[in-house]
Amino acid sequence: MKDKAANISFSSGISRRSFLKSCTLAATALGLSEAMIPKLIEAAESAQRPTVIWLHFQECTGCTETLLRGSHPDIGRLILDIISLDYHETIMVPSGHQAEKSLHDSVAKNKGKFILVVEGAIPTADNGNYCKIAGRTAIDILEDIGPQAAAIIAIGTCASFGGIQAAHPNPTGAKGVQEIISGVPILNLPGCPPNPVTFLGTVLHFLTFKRLPNTDKLGRPLFAYGRRIHDHCERRAHFDEGRFAEEFGDFGHKNGYCLYKVGCKGPETFSNCPAARFNDVDVWPVSVGHGCIGCTEPNFWDSMTPFYERLPQVSIPGTGIVTDADSAGKKILGVAAAGAAIHAAVGIGKSVIKKG
Amino acid sequence: MNYEKTKVWGILLRLYHWSLVLSIIALVVTGFYINTPWTNTTLEGSVSFPMATMRYWHFLAGYLFTAAILIRIFLLFFGNRQERIWDFLPITSRNIKSLTTTLGYYSYISDEHDNRPGHNVLAGMSYLLTIVAAVFQLIAGFYLLFPEAATWQGVGNAIFGSQQEARFVHHLLMWYFILFGFVHVYIVIWNEMKSPEGLISSMINGLKFKS
Repeated sequence: MKDKAANISFSSGISRRSFLKSCTLAATALGLSEAMIPKLIEAAESAQRPTVIWLHFQECTGCTETLLRGSHPDIGRLILDIISLDYHETIMVPSGHQAEKSLHDSVAKNKGKFILVVEGAIPTADNGNYCKIAGRTAIDILEDIGPQAAAIIAIGTCASFGGIQAAHPNPTGAKGVQEIISGVPILNLPGCPPNPVTFLGTVLHFLTFKRLPNTDKLGRPLFAYGRRIHDHCERRAHFDEGRFAEEFGDFGHKNGYCLYKVGCKGPETFSNCPAARFNDVDVWPVSVGHGCIGCTEPNFWDSMTPFYERLPQVSIPGTGIVTDADSAGKKILGVAAAGAAIHAAVGIGKSVIKKG
Repeated sequence: MNYEKTKVWGILLRLYHWSLVLSIIALVVTGFYINTPWTNTTLEGSVSFPMATMRYWHFLAGYLFTAAILIRIFLLFFGNRQERIWDFLPITSRNIKSLTTTLGYYSYISDEHDNRPGHNVLAGMSYLLTIVAAVFQLIAGFYLLFPEAATWQGVGNAIFGSQQEARFVHHLLMWYFILFGFVHVYIVIWNEMKSPEGLISSMINGLKFKS
């Protein structure tokens, strides 16, 4: 292994030291023991790079953007040395018919062996007309290419659970990959965007062990989504000891107290953000004073809003009233108390009349 | 004295009742604190853990609540005659009649009172609804308490969805229990004043009176 690693050509201009650092970081993210690192390095530098086809549907390209900003490894090393990225609309050179040709050639050549990465939700309403590439609908492309893949990685919340497109009332009928494709192992890497370390860890896990990592009940890899943000948050002590920011910019906020009362959704969100952090500058939302918005959870756009309050609003059917649960509860309790008072008054009135 | 004592409620049912009362009060108070902590401090290193303490009492009360509900479900099938579900399910003509009589009695339409030893059917149905709500409440509670346990994750995802959705349902169901508690106490006091069967004390000594 040592000789092979020494001879590896660093086409992306990255030193061997930084390559080993990337592998070690990925091993740490995966929760693997130190003894596994050489295996991981071996897998990462093997000549058989897995073919990856990356499809974009209803999305903002934010997941690709975050991958471009990854540094362990940087995008150059990832696509030149670790994987063979045969089709990716944002960063590929060919366009038009040439691009289509490379997609179909690659699928035909690597049938049953390539990893399909899907970014973005798939619109299903009105025959899927809301997203078309090269004259074909997104759902048509996915149903064609998806079953031919060895595994599918749904990157981002949109591809995993539908994301913002699927927010109520979901006009385009947007759905995640797992609601459309079955029979192929599907891994969800939700997040808006997910951490590039999570994607790298998943790819290296696949290379090393020839299978996708273990997942939770929502198909998210446990190494990255096994714990709640709240349980690894650097502000957790302030939560337990009852020190909260009441509003943005107040004393508590300036002193780095817990953001629970300004709507942080860390207690209900699974992700590795507090541990992995983002983009080599060691930050994540809570570290810079903004609560978590729960972007790795299904239906987050509907269930995590309002972002600056703890719970979603209640809409009382038939009235058009939208309010928070506690004020609705108090009103209903008030109505019940008034009802009881009237009931008691009628009883007293009746007995007075009887006596009279 | 020409009244007759009848044994109505067993010791387990009375224990269930007061455990539920105690746990609901504790759960509502600590639950409100957990949702909207009403204290705030800037003291650091004061060795005071208000949120951790409230959560501790909330979980403890949650286990008491769970035990009480499990006892009640057991009694629905294996309790004494008044405690069993068949005594108040509106499926027999006797029970359907009880439902209409009670509705008329409660709305001052008639003075005819269903003078049975156990629950009248209207009360029985509302208790049954409360037990169903309690089962959902405690499943949501355990899903929130053990978010990483695979079993609770599977059950919670299937019933409620994400942690946040379970939290929302948990909060709304709390309001059901507050509302139920209020209406229950009002109607029990009203009944106590209308008919001399000793309804409130029956939940302490298990006895009701017939004149």
